[in-house]
Amino acid sequence: MAAEGGGKDEVKTQFTTREGTYKLMTLSEYSRPNRVPYSAQSCNPVKVSFINVKDPSGGDRICFNVGKELYFYIYKGIRKAADLTKPIEKRTYKGTIPTCHDFNQFTCCSQSVSLLVGFSAGQVQLIDPIKKDNTKLFNEERLIDKTRVTCLRWVPGSEHLFLVAHSSGNMYLYNEQLAAGNAAPHYQTHKHGDGYAIYTCKSKSTRNPVFRWVVGEGSLNDFAFSPDATYLATVSQDGFLRIFHYDSMDLHAQMKSYFGGLLCACWSPDSKYIVTGGEDDLVTVYSFLERKVIARGRGHKSWVSVVAFDSYLTQTQNNHADFFGSDDDFNSLVNSSDARDRAGSRASAIHPDETRPLTCTYRFGSAGQDTQMCLWDLTEDVLYPHQPLSRGRTNTNPVNPTPPRCNSIANTSRLNANATSHTDGIGTMANLTSKISGLNLSDKHKDKLDKSDKKNSVSSRSGDKLNSLSKMHRCIIEDAMKAIGTPMCPRLDEVPMLEPLVVKKIAHERLTALVFREDCLVTSCQEGFVCTWARPGKVGMSQHNASGTVV
Amino acid sequence: MDVMRSCLSFQGPNASALEKEIGSDQFPPNEHYFGLVNFGNTCYCNSVLQALYFCKPFRDKVLAYRAQPKKKETLLTCLADLFNNIASQKKKVGVIAPKKFIARLRKENELFDNYMQQDAHEFLNYLLNTIADLLQAEKQGGKPKNGNDNQIKPEPTWVHDIFQGTLTNETRCLCCEAVSSKDEDFLDLSVDVDQNTSITHCLRGFSSTETLCSEYKYYCENCCSKQEAQKRMRVKKLPMILALHLKRFKYMEQLHRYTKLSYRVVFPLELRLMNTSDDAFNPDKLYDLVAVVIHCGSGPNRGHYITIVKSHGFWLLFDDDIVEKIDAQAIEEFYGLTSDLQKTSESGYILFYQSRDGT
Repeated sequence: MAAEGGGKDEVKTQFTTREGTYKLMTLSEYSRPNRVPYSAQSCNPVKVSFINVKDPSGGDRICFNVGKELYFYIYKGIRKAADLTKPIEKRTYKGTIPTCHDFNQFTCCSQSVSLLVGFSAGQVQLIDPIKKDNTKLFNEERLIDKTRVTCLRWVPGSEHLFLVAHSSGNMYLYNEQLAAGNAAPHYQTHKHGDGYAIYTCKSKSTRNPVFRWVVGEGSLNDFAFSPDATYLATVSQDGFLRIFHYDSMDLHAQMKSYFGGLLCACWSPDSKYIVTGGEDDLVTVYSFLERKVIARGRGHKSWVSVVAFDSYLTQTQNNHADFFGSDDDFNSLVNSSDARDRAGSRASAIHPDETRPLTCTYRFGSAGQDTQMCLWDLTEDVLYPHQPLSRGRTNTNPVNPTPPRCNSIANTSRLNANATSHTDGIGTMANLTSKISGLNLSDKHKDKLDKSDKKNSVSSRSGDKLNSLSKMHRCIIEDAMKAIGTPMCPRLDEVPMLEPLVVKKIAHERLTALVFREDCLVTSCQEGFVCTWARPGKVGMSQHNASGTVV
Repeated sequence: MDVMRSCLSFQGPNASALEKEIGSDQFPPNEHYFGLVNFGNTCYCNSVLQALYFCKPFRDKVLAYRAQPKKKETLLTCLADLFNNIASQKKKVGVIAPKKFIARLRKENELFDNYMQQDAHEFLNYLLNTIADLLQAEKQGGKPKNGNDNQIKPEPTWVHDIFQGTLTNETRCLCCEAVSSKDEDFLDLSVDVDQNTSITHCLRGFSSTETLCSEYKYYCENCCSKQEAQKRMRVKKLPMILALHLKRFKYMEQLHRYTKLSYRVVFPLELRLMNTSDDAFNPDKLYDLVAVVIHCGSGPNRGHYITIVKSHGFWLLFDDDIVEKIDAQAIEEFYGLTSDLQKTSESGYILFYQSRDGT
């Protein structure tokens, strides 16, 4: 009876793409020490963070949260079986549940790492799971925000600054060195624009939060810094992707889901594209340079909870690597590429193969609530279509009609130059919103806003602010509807619909994390199992025969 | 947060608590949140009535109907009186006994003339069709017609204006490739459910291509013979309010009874249809979720129905006489269960999506 419907699909332990076969390393499974599945009905996604502390043993460490617990282990990857009996650190929380975490990649060393943990009741903890001291708490009294932390990240290259997003739709910049204020913050407007506003604290001494970002409508579900650390992409429950210039806090671009909230976002390694996933069951590829959606992908049967670029298989240069058929090719390819600086370091690894056409330029993956993982290729025909697919496009966002060939663009300066030359796109959108902001909206929207505003703003309620926020709300509701048929939300038949390279059901429960590493990819599911999949030809240890099931 | 438990711990309707929670300055003007008394397993009825009350275009038409000259009692006049009773209350929150409506319902249809739990979807169907028939009869100045009188296409009523959409059934003969299409109207769509899917996926399943072969071959007018064919059903006219029924009750041959499929089927607050036909008008219509009838329990004839509705930007839970404000994030409690073993669940059963542009 259980086989009816969902049960009929077997959970897969390997899958094959054109570069070879990925195999589940059953001995490399990380979970709670007793390997008992966590009650899956709990609605806290199991997230995974990695850090390399640069010690002789390899130095990889993994952190993941399962229910009330947070684990920190040595990550042995595909080389050796996981030893779950000896977590370096294990914490169990009461009254509040860990929801997400992030390592400071910039400050870490073999004796110390800075790990941020966000919680369901809004608090943020800074811990050092190696030194096990220097624990700090932020928003401890929940004076800043009472809602769940949805995403937090260290500001790239910063020792002390980090951003925390909440389901209230607010995002806060903290400085871990600043003392906590003992009263609720009073805010003053610092900057506001289309669909967002930024506030600073009104206080004599500098205090946390340094900035408060109010972005969109509803939960701010995920955010990501561009790999060049210049831009910040946010995705919200209102279905909008917003791309800010981080330092100037200007909104540079936005995109709307086909419908429903956006749940995740990821930048391409060269900071040119953003892939999002959401409640429309689609992955959406947005070209930041061209300010438009260039493709969507249909492969999931439910909401897409995580997207990630596979930087090891992404070509950002004109010198394409062909897809390797043999393990030797693979090894030389991945070994030569550095995870942090991929663009341009590839040429030495290329085995030119004239018989095969140049096909793939970007690879990304997605994982969803349907327990499936998909892999996608963004190929040249999608990136550089010969004829723009522009049937019945009514709103004329003056984006560059002939997308730039990105052959030689790899560095940020060029990216920036492009970004500024494209601000026209945003200008049009702003015009659109100013036009519709004059429309009379029913009271219900205002009421809702008043309400949420009362809930969110801890103390300051100047009339001015209320006004700007309510205007903002109106715009968002209208924008979502007007966006259809524009480059920020094309109709279904106006952009290519991608087919996934691979669709595989790989767990019994909703998937919650997907990380591409040099020799493997790592997935996790709601039940608390973190699985490692060896890349083709990377099955090193004596566990080839991964023929069992995942759980 | 366990919504159900917190509901049940309420001893009786604590109306003032709801008012306090919403806040007197935040309380929407001219809006009333009234629970409905349960007369013994009438929650199937209460839950659907609440959902319909918060389908604003429907409520407005029902209230407008009552304003017309007095007519003899029908299910529609009883509904109009009930809605008017809620809408004209001095208090903002409270409880009402839908006595007259239930009595009329039991009198009119023997299916509902008992104290058994009934299927909320069947009731919704019955109610909308009965109202449509009454309105059509009034237009024609005759008596309400009985059932199978399909000879003339009846004039559309406001029930049709609100809920009716059109499906187009396209059949392509695999021999001559000729496509024939036939339209049929619907007031709601019933979709099959599957574990760990979304309502979008269920709708895609609804419109998936089916091959007619062997004993189910299709008679092709062009070939003048029975042929293998491919058939699919897509939405051609999108309704103003899209009612989606999740087929969670499945007849199990071995058990000789219905069982509940508690699968986790997620439904977004905002929806567009992806299964529209090529000739559909306005296929990008954007919908907002406005109400969900939820089935709690393990089977169609047992368990309980409750409803969540969106009103003036916030969400309310109606559990017979109890009304509670809930967090939008608590809606995920009603998606269903990921475990196939457990049958008892509180899971979305009928979804009401309203078009944002009001057409």
